[in-house]
Amino acid sequence: MALSLSNFLYSSLLLLLPFGLIADAATVTFDWNVTWVRANPDGKFERPTMGINNQWPLPLLNITKGDNVIININNQLGNQSTSFHFHGLFMNGTTEMDGPVGATQCGIPPGSSFTYNFTIDQPGTYWYHAHQRGQYPDGLRGPLLVNDLESPYLGQYDEEVLLTLSDWYHHEMPELIAKFISVANPTGAEPVPNSALINDTQNVTVPVQPGRTYLFRMVNMGAFASQYFWIEGHTMTIVEVDGVYTEPAEASMIYLTAAQRYSFLLTTKNETSSNFAFVASMDHDLFDKVPKGLNSNTTGWLVYDSNVERPIPALLDAFDAFDDFNLVPQDGQKLLLNVNYIMTLDMKMKTLGDGANYASFNDVTYVRPKVPTLYTALSTGASATDVTVYGGNTDAFVLAKDEVIEIVLNNDDPGKHPFHLHGHNFQAVLRSDKDTGFYDSMNHTAFPAVPMRRDTFWVKPDGHVVLRFKSDNPGVWLFHCHIEWHVNSGLVATIIEAPLEMQKTTSIPSDHWRVCRDSQTPYAGNAAGNTVDLLDLTGENKSPAPLPAGFTAKGIVALVFSIISALLGMVVISWYGAAPIGTSELQSAEKRIAEAGTEVK
Amino acid sequence: MVNVFSVPVFFVCFRESLETSIIVSVLLAFLKQTLGPEREPRVWWGIIIGIAISLCIGCGMIGAFYGLGKNHFSGTEDIWEGAFGLLAALIITAMGAALLRVSKLQDKWRVKLAQALEAKDNKKRSAGDRFKRWAEKYAMFLLPFITVLREGLEAVVFIGGVGLATPASAFPLAVMCGIGAGCLVGYLVYRGGNAAKLQLFLIISTCFLYLVAAGLFSKAVWFLENNTWNHVVGGDAAETGAGPGSYDIRQSVWHINFGSPLLNGGGGWGVFNSILGWQNSATYGSVLAYNLYWVAVICGFLAMRYNEAKGHWSLMKPKAKRISESDAASDTSSQQGEVIAETYEPKKVSTDFDAARSSARQLDA
Repeated sequence: MALSLSNFLYSSLLLLLPFGLIADAATVTFDWNVTWVRANPDGKFERPTMGINNQWPLPLLNITKGDNVIININNQLGNQSTSFHFHGLFMNGTTEMDGPVGATQCGIPPGSSFTYNFTIDQPGTYWYHAHQRGQYPDGLRGPLLVNDLESPYLGQYDEEVLLTLSDWYHHEMPELIAKFISVANPTGAEPVPNSALINDTQNVTVPVQPGRTYLFRMVNMGAFASQYFWIEGHTMTIVEVDGVYTEPAEASMIYLTAAQRYSFLLTTKNETSSNFAFVASMDHDLFDKVPKGLNSNTTGWLVYDSNVERPIPALLDAFDAFDDFNLVPQDGQKLLLNVNYIMTLDMKMKTLGDGANYASFNDVTYVRPKVPTLYTALSTGASATDVTVYGGNTDAFVLAKDEVIEIVLNNDDPGKHPFHLHGHNFQAVLRSDKDTGFYDSMNHTAFPAVPMRRDTFWVKPDGHVVLRFKSDNPGVWLFHCHIEWHVNSGLVATIIEAPLEMQKTTSIPSDHWRVCRDSQTPYAGNAAGNTVDLLDLTGENKSPAPLPAGFTAKGIVALVFSIISALLGMVVISWYGAAPIGTSELQSAEKRIAEAGTEVK
Repeated sequence: MVNVFSVPVFFVCFRESLETSIIVSVLLAFLKQTLGPEREPRVWWGIIIGIAISLCIGCGMIGAFYGLGKNHFSGTEDIWEGAFGLLAALIITAMGAALLRVSKLQDKWRVKLAQALEAKDNKKRSAGDRFKRWAEKYAMFLLPFITVLREGLEAVVFIGGVGLATPASAFPLAVMCGIGAGCLVGYLVYRGGNAAKLQLFLIISTCFLYLVAAGLFSKAVWFLENNTWNHVVGGDAAETGAGPGSYDIRQSVWHINFGSPLLNGGGGWGVFNSILGWQNSATYGSVLAYNLYWVAVICGFLAMRYNEAKGHWSLMKPKAKRISESDAASDTSSQQGEVIAETYEPKKVSTDFDAARSSARQLDA
């Protein structure tokens, strides 16, 4: 799947157009029908997947920086709503196009149409996926590459190669979600994938020429599994992560969590005597139990000579991946200082009153509000700055415009989690070691002067991370773990950035309202749909109540009753024991003795 | 302290031997005062054979666990516990009532009854009746045997579970102290039984036995429900500790995170559990079972008293006619039989004893 040089020639032609014309940036339009398609990418199991225009895998979106993108969606799934999120794109000024159902739009019901219209002004490697309840692992995800004619690395490579990584399940998501969030799974063990894919298939071959430099662009489109990636016999030079150019960094192995992207330069060898394997290996640390027969390694090959055999990759003793914390952004953006607002998020997983396992930030489990949060922000006037109107179960934070925001994420769970922020990338200023507990602002490693930046960053088990960004993008942005299971079990926070500014600049197209009417979703008022009393949240969507702590009324009644029956029983026994023997009892004893014929002595 | 004395192992041994020794000492005290000392060996045989078998099975299981590396028992552990518990509860219930009933007879009657039990049975009887008679004869063996078997197996399984993390040096002292403490309590009960008036001792100890049996019955139901839950969750729920996920929220009547009689040997809660059936996580099943057991026992005793007083079960025809019909040969004797039936009272027994004895002779003839 190598991109040819001709794409670059075509793109550079665009540069010759006169500068004065702003309309020089092209508008690219796509008409997508979301349909069911049967597929068998790992060769082991054919299953229904969600495709676009009757094709799966989904098309690659190859956009030039500065282009205006219009995507007309028509939902032909018949049995599910859908929506699309363009992961990593800031959607500056177009928050209504960001995609998460319940946050910036209503779900697109079967038969309805919806248009996404936005401009891409950032370079790098991205992807797009459904942002409706656990939907994208059923196949509705694809890569999005932005061509940057001003890339600092332009000219340093000859060709581009796209590699997408993914985990893959044989069963459909609604069924797996029902098993995951259920009383029979109180520990919240996530379903383990059945296999892994590279470029939505297996045994990928990448034909390469000797002595050339390639730019590999990688996306992890998985639902759950993080993957280690390495190429035997070759070194990778990282130049971009999540749309942020970095100073070149050499690595022999990289680690991609779900949703992360990496671009690296690879210089091929000067001879064609052998082919080399590359391997993507799923991280078992996330899996509750590793089922027998799971092959978590997917292999592909750099093929120098198709007549030479493709080697079997060597087994490794340990995974030693490059720590992305050590990357330095190429633009040298300095550490943001003078933090105006700190968002502290303490995350935890626990069992709630229905017996199932849920995730929470600050003891609040995210539940979608009745009215999408963006529509609440737009319809509540001055109250839009009051976080109450967004509901008690949306983990909402209201930010002012152009402030320096710090997110402190404390991971009170013994698992790794990759966190993603919509609408921004952030400076990752601290990632603690595992088991260090909560962040202590008085006592921590010094923050780097030029911290690394990206939009998806993982936290270690029982550790913490500190992130900083500037709130320069009015809109409703979700901050959530990108393990799809945890999105479903509530590990989501909502940021409402500069709501009053949003009210002035955001206008919702009529097809967005129509989709709300089609799905009978209210689109005005607070989180409970109340347009009259904005602080009255009666009727809002709530998570299950917590487990009862200790004895409830019914427990006390049961215990008291049991004690009373025991005491009564003992009274009766004593009464019986103290009573004289009855007449017939003596008679039956006599009869017994008589039958035995014993002589009385 | 931990390296020479394992507290969890001590508590496991203490509570298992406590239940056993209390039951055994009640039996022994009763035997000594009533049916005569020649019955005693049966009790000891029950204990010894029970210990032997439970040791064999226990060692086999532990050997299999360490040798084959698989805990074959854990999958069916709850079913075993449930089944044994039910059986033990039923036996204790039947025996407790029988002991109390028999104790009301005066000494000589009891002795004669005991001898009658021993006598060869030539009459043809139904299978149920024959089993009943066999059970009566060997009751003194059966009850200690079943009790010791159950307690012994439980102790081996629990120590096997708890002991995995404990160094071997911590075992001997803890085991000896646990069993010793249990036996001491039993001995005190036995002495108390010998010293006190038999009737009072029996009433108190029967109350206690029934408390234990009620607990056993409730626990048996609890174990069977726990087994179902383990299958739902796919593993041993107790591995998640005593917190959420270790029990089925839909069946729960109460649940508190401490006070589990299972975890880490159970400690004092384990003793509470074996005497009274305490659970930190009660289900509808276990609570209902406990209460229904007492209701059944209360009804049972009320019915027995009614039967003893009236000569027939309530709602059924009197049996008195049958006795007189079988003695239809002698009118005078039936009249005297009725006289005895009407005038019998405890205090009068000693004075009417000769009259009763003579009429008994006539019945024999």
